[in-house]
Amino acid sequence: MISTVEKKYDSENNFVCYNIVTTNNLHISVPLDEANKDYQAIQEWIADGGTVIDNGGGE
Amino acid sequence: MSKLEVDKIDPQSGTDLELGSSGDTITIPSGATLDASNATTTLPANVVTTDGTQTLTNKTIAAGSNTVTGLTNSNLSGSAAISNANLANSSITINDTAVSLGGSTSISTGGMYKNIIINGDMSIAQRGTSVSSITTSSYNTLDRFKLTIGSAGTWTQSQSTDVPSGQGFAKSLKMDCTTANASLSSGAYFFLEQQIEGQNLQYLKKGTANAESLTLSFWVKSNKTGTYIAELRDTDNDRAISKSYTISSASTWEKKTITYDGDTSGAFTNDNNTSLRLQFHLGAGSSYQSGTLQTSWGARTQADEVVGQVNLADSTSNEWYVTGVQLEAGTASDFEFLPYDVNLNRCYRYFQKLSVVLMNFNTTGLLGFVFPVEMRANPSVSRAYVGNPNRMYNVGTAATADVVSPTTIVSKQTIRYWYAFSPSAWATSTRSGWETEYTLDSEL
Repeated sequence: MISTVEKKYDSENNFVCYNIVTTNNLHISVPLDEANKDYQAIQEWIADGGTVIDNGGGE
Repeated sequence: MSKLEVDKIDPQSGTDLELGSSGDTITIPSGATLDASNATTTLPANVVTTDGTQTLTNKTIAAGSNTVTGLTNSNLSGSAAISNANLANSSITINDTAVSLGGSTSISTGGMYKNIIINGDMSIAQRGTSVSSITTSSYNTLDRFKLTIGSAGTWTQSQSTDVPSGQGFAKSLKMDCTTANASLSSGAYFFLEQQIEGQNLQYLKKGTANAESLTLSFWVKSNKTGTYIAELRDTDNDRAISKSYTISSASTWEKKTITYDGDTSGAFTNDNNTSLRLQFHLGAGSSYQSGTLQTSWGARTQADEVVGQVNLADSTSNEWYVTGVQLEAGTASDFEFLPYDVNLNRCYRYFQKLSVVLMNFNTTGLLGFVFPVEMRANPSVSRAYVGNPNRMYNVGTAATADVVSPTTIVSKQTIRYWYAFSPSAWATSTRSGWETEYTLDSEL
């Protein structure tokens, strides 16, 4: 079960992955791949009203 | 008896010569030789041997519609050859040191990787051998087998050494009820499943007039006897077929074989996503079993999917074991045992753990490596140092440091990983020999 979702950017400010924390405190990096089941779960979580943390790139 | 002694008999005229008349018996005594080796001989419709021990050697049965029966338990040795033959409904054992397949020979069933199910012998358990307190859907122990569950008790899943005797299996999957739910809500569901990629199923020719039938074989054991449902679901076209089986004897291994017709409607999509789900149901609410069991392929109707299924969750005494799961095109055959390393590499496509050691690195940096086996899709990445998924461990000092908010870029075969350590943790460390374990997950 997803607890938080954060967008992550590379050094050129490209959005490259999500980092999620689950309710049992697993920290998982999720690629932007529609065939990935965690990516699919994030899309469902967002559709159900979840808010993605987005601190932007700017490194 | 009169006796005719001549050296040769020829026709009086023409070329036809007849011996005796219909109903006569013409006997050639024991010890005599009838040599027709240089002649063309037309055999009668039925050739009857006198005691069944005669040997036919070095002969060729020519192409045509000849039918040879009674070739059971035969030894075809030497230069014997069978060509263009239909050997149907047979169990054929070849006990030779070399078997050659010539010409355009193909093996349509019984070939390598005939089993659509991966890890059917329950030998690979990368995630661990036992997980308790399961109440929600997840992959737990045995690779490729997912428990899908909602409102159906609490369970421990484990890799067990309880197996059917003398069948060659070393491991089984065990479900053990730890909190019962004797009265399932209408929407409760509970099944063990494996999901299969569409690109591995194209040879089934689903959605065509030549669609292959499928046969499911497995060994099962439970104290809870009664009716269980094994369902195939086509997720590309939302079609389904369900068949029941019965566990007849409590706590006794039983082998079950179930055949599903080929489906002439709805082709599987040729990609790396789920097309087929094999589901061993273990319990279901009324929403899934208020209709009539759908035993032929058709549009999936929820009420018809799991009709008659017992509730395995109704007692903490309940256990359910399964092993030797094989799903194959056509009729049933013996379980396909694969070498452990082959089985493990097939599982790596969906899940891998990689241990990584970092030497002489700074508080921030970039780490990259290549996976030993290409994965099904770009994997999710988590770190899994024992007891703390965020933590790295210093080999030399036993100090730990936390990775803070990494950025990860992966492909099916590579990872690039920008890391930064928490300063407070870094202050206790030395700059050498850190290790951690990465979990790569691209399961369906």
